[in-house]
Amino acid sequence: MNFELNMTFADLLLLLPEIFLTLWLCLVLIVDFAFPRLPKEQLAYLSVAGLGVTLGCLAWFDLTHISGSLFGNMFVLDRMAIFFKMFIVGASILVILASTEYVSRFAFFRGEYYFLIVMSALGMMFMASANDLLSLFVTLEFSTFGFYVLVAYLREDLASNEAGLKFFILGVFAAGLLAYGISLVYGETGKLVFSDMASAPATPGLIIGFLLIFAALGFKIGAVPFHTWIPDTYHGAPTPVTAFLSIAPKGAAIAILLRLFFVALFAFKPMWVLLLAAVSVLSMTYANIVAIAQTNIKRLLAYSGIAQIGNILIGLAAGTKMGNDAILFYLLTYLFANIGAFAVVIAMSQAIGSEEINDYSGLNRRSPFLAFSMLLFLLSLAGVPPLAGFIGKIYIFVAAIKEGLYTLITVGLVNIVISMYYYLIVVKKMYIAEPIDPSPIRISGPMKAVVYVGLGGTLLIGIYPQPFIDWVVSATMMFSHLPAPAATALPPVPPLGG
Amino acid sequence: MGDYALLYILFAPFFGALALIFVSNRQALLVRGIAAGSAFISLIASLYLFYAYDPVAGGYQFIQRFEWSRQLGIALYLGVDGIGTPLVLASSILLFAGIFVSWHIKDRAKEFYIWILILAAATIGVFMSLDLFFLYFFYEMSVIPMYLLLGMWGSHTKKYLEMTDPEGMKQRDSVGFIFNFGSNSKEYAAMKLVLFLSAFAVAAFMGILLIYKYSGLNTFDILVLREHASTLMNIPVLGTTLDKIIWVLIFFGFASIAPLWPLHSWSPVGHAAAPAATSMLHAGVLMKLGHFSIIRVAYEILPETTRELMPMAAVLCMFSIVYGGFVAYYAKDTKYVIGYSSSSHMGYVFLGMAALDYISLSGAVIYMFAHAMATGMLFSMAGWVYDQTHTRDIPSLGGLSNKMPFISACFVVGCMASIGMPGTVNFVAEVMIIVGSWNKYPLQVVVAVLGIVLTMAYLFKMMRSLFYGPMDQKYSHSHDAVAFVDRLPLLIMISVSVGFGLFPMHLYNVVRSGVDPLIAKITHVVPVAALPAPESPAASLHEQLAARGAQLPESPAAQ
Repeated sequence: MNFELNMTFADLLLLLPEIFLTLWLCLVLIVDFAFPRLPKEQLAYLSVAGLGVTLGCLAWFDLTHISGSLFGNMFVLDRMAIFFKMFIVGASILVILASTEYVSRFAFFRGEYYFLIVMSALGMMFMASANDLLSLFVTLEFSTFGFYVLVAYLREDLASNEAGLKFFILGVFAAGLLAYGISLVYGETGKLVFSDMASAPATPGLIIGFLLIFAALGFKIGAVPFHTWIPDTYHGAPTPVTAFLSIAPKGAAIAILLRLFFVALFAFKPMWVLLLAAVSVLSMTYANIVAIAQTNIKRLLAYSGIAQIGNILIGLAAGTKMGNDAILFYLLTYLFANIGAFAVVIAMSQAIGSEEINDYSGLNRRSPFLAFSMLLFLLSLAGVPPLAGFIGKIYIFVAAIKEGLYTLITVGLVNIVISMYYYLIVVKKMYIAEPIDPSPIRISGPMKAVVYVGLGGTLLIGIYPQPFIDWVVSATMMFSHLPAPAATALPPVPPLGG
Repeated sequence: MGDYALLYILFAPFFGALALIFVSNRQALLVRGIAAGSAFISLIASLYLFYAYDPVAGGYQFIQRFEWSRQLGIALYLGVDGIGTPLVLASSILLFAGIFVSWHIKDRAKEFYIWILILAAATIGVFMSLDLFFLYFFYEMSVIPMYLLLGMWGSHTKKYLEMTDPEGMKQRDSVGFIFNFGSNSKEYAAMKLVLFLSAFAVAAFMGILLIYKYSGLNTFDILVLREHASTLMNIPVLGTTLDKIIWVLIFFGFASIAPLWPLHSWSPVGHAAAPAATSMLHAGVLMKLGHFSIIRVAYEILPETTRELMPMAAVLCMFSIVYGGFVAYYAKDTKYVIGYSSSSHMGYVFLGMAALDYISLSGAVIYMFAHAMATGMLFSMAGWVYDQTHTRDIPSLGGLSNKMPFISACFVVGCMASIGMPGTVNFVAEVMIIVGSWNKYPLQVVVAVLGIVLTMAYLFKMMRSLFYGPMDQKYSHSHDAVAFVDRLPLLIMISVSVGFGLFPMHLYNVVRSGVDPLIAKITHVVPVAALPAPESPAASLHEQLAARGAQLPESPAAQ
């Protein structure tokens, strides 16, 4: 292995979003220390401004098709990486906007909160570009590092501390698995870059190594059986952090999984299809059944998130470009619905100080806007037309049926019905039950903006998905060499009538 | 309007619902005005559609096609044939009537109208979809509004009160309540309805996905699939052929909403819990989504399989008719009686469909239209009686005809329509079903006629104990429907029912133009009326069919 660091300024351009965000991160920290009397909300807007510029820069890359790779293929910037970076930055912006009020609950270090969020986002942006095992390890740990602190940010709160500890111990354990897996794979193949491993023979050491790496990534996305940390951590963590944790790391880890399975491991496809199918069935079924018994909305959303990952893995198991399109599309729909649902949870926890589903009783009378938004977000997660989640699920099922994954689709369809039950239990509380305390609920401006973005995305993607489908299809161009599912050409439309 | 009639019908209620979001609940009149206005646009457009539909030309008319997703092969493809047209009309009549039936709703009126408009628009969307994806899209979309309508504005049945035990523990809120079939709270009814319908809808969707895959055409377009798909699916799988599996998935998936006999249990519970306008739409048009989707998907795309497997429905429909009729006779709740009567009457539609005959299938389609009017009347009046007396317990009611002469007179008409008295459109439909299926299913026809007797028995029994006999003094404050807005919905439905009963010819022609090509494709029996088609000489068509080994009609079917 030889690293020649012969970078040019043109190469640096590929790193522009990350470099800019790093500098901005320092700026946020400096402003926080230099102006201690500055209202912390201003820091939120400062961070959002930086993330917004980053988002614009990424959009520019996407439109002008700037791409390339750096550091001997450790870092790639292709359209998929750009998609995931935009996904992560977008999620971060929404999370920061949703947490402006919540931050007042933190006893200390309110300014650093924003710093840590943006830092995790930065880590995940690198993760979306990671193209070899070393950068995978470094970026994964870099992004998780911020979360270890964030989850335990409510220092006075035992649940938050417990969540942080649990997350840390299991996270470090997963990091150990990852490192061990990487060492096995490197030992067997002598390669680090994903694309170089494509022709490696399937030795037991290599397979075990990849299984360990998959376990570590499964921990990240929270797929059964690597999900055990999720409910407690989601429950105890500050709610905006939960929202962030439930979206952005999943996106970043999915990006890695896509590269790992489709670039490094494509020769082993028959093997990993079975693995993914098993994990997917377990995730959907287990999470949906356990979610029925939840009384806390954050735990309910935690299990719902595990089930959604099960759905995403159906698309991954399809193993085609269309399956990957469907995954990216599904993540988009999940982003809007989940961030929206968590925004409502944050607003409610600010207003009534509780996250129990029972306390959502009569929300429709207290705040019709919040109740209606929550209704749409939950139904989108359940997959009800005309909302985004429905199209996402259909996209995945269509991609999977073309590969003949009947069992997975059947399990997925049955799980839609199961999940509808617990989502509707929340709807029942909000709409049918009478409120215990009928006082109206007030929500802050930034929060409202987040809910509106969620609503807009959920409805727009549901009603007119074509632009978004085009976007994800072009984002996964790197997989266009995959064998396409057999589809005969469309015959001419017969004359109408008869 | 012309070509865009379908868009008006479909999107007027959607935009009405959208506009309502921005109106305050305090402006009660504006809220109702918007709801009624958008329903009115829909009604006028569907009346235009019904009379502008050209039964001579037949086929799908008023086509609208918008590309929706290239990658998935989905287009928003709208069009109606002779089967969809009357059902679209029925939906918009019931929507318009339903808005007036719920005119006095006080609690969250705005939301009520929003959901009812979405519900009606979604059902209308199914009736005009020519794309399997959108058929399923609208079908699923109609389920969730039902949950909210039942849950928020519905009512509990009598048994509900027994569910709170002395310690005040609310059993109905336990996790296991979904399995507790003894409970009859509105929450239970709503949840059962949604889960039941969704569970079977995903089965139907599995069938749709299998059609999509094995047709290999990468499209959900029904018109393309019906030309190409059926021949591609004779693949042996699991000891049978693939098309049979798909057909069973689609048939039972959609039959659950119809509701066919063993799958009916959600329906009466849902009827009983729902507010009057919702029951009307639910029984009037939502249930017809099942029959319609079976016709649109199974009959159109898998005609050969339909011919082989449809006798199954002929067996099950007997149970529907008899079981529903007997339960209705013994039920003590007005809405249960009407609900079970609906599920019994839907058996007639299945009988008409199963016979696969020109007359019987036309009868089935007309029956759907007729039943929508009749059951709409009955539910709206049951709702009125409930609003006035706050009970649906039949034995405790009585003698209400003194207090509400108009309602009781309309109730008599409603019962007559439901029984199928000559002069109402139900009569036309029943006669056609009975005549058309006699050759093939004499036993079922006997059962169906007995079912009519049963219908008479339970409806007269209910009528007697509601409106005649001694009246309990606690109901002495109940009122008749006096105001114009209260009488309007009943008058509309009665006049439609009687009007088409006396002049059924246009309805018949429209329906026949949709039924003919379908039955010709399924049975290879050419209708006599369709033989001298202007383009193709009759002789050559006969030769073609004879070459295919088809059976030619011996005698013209009675028309």
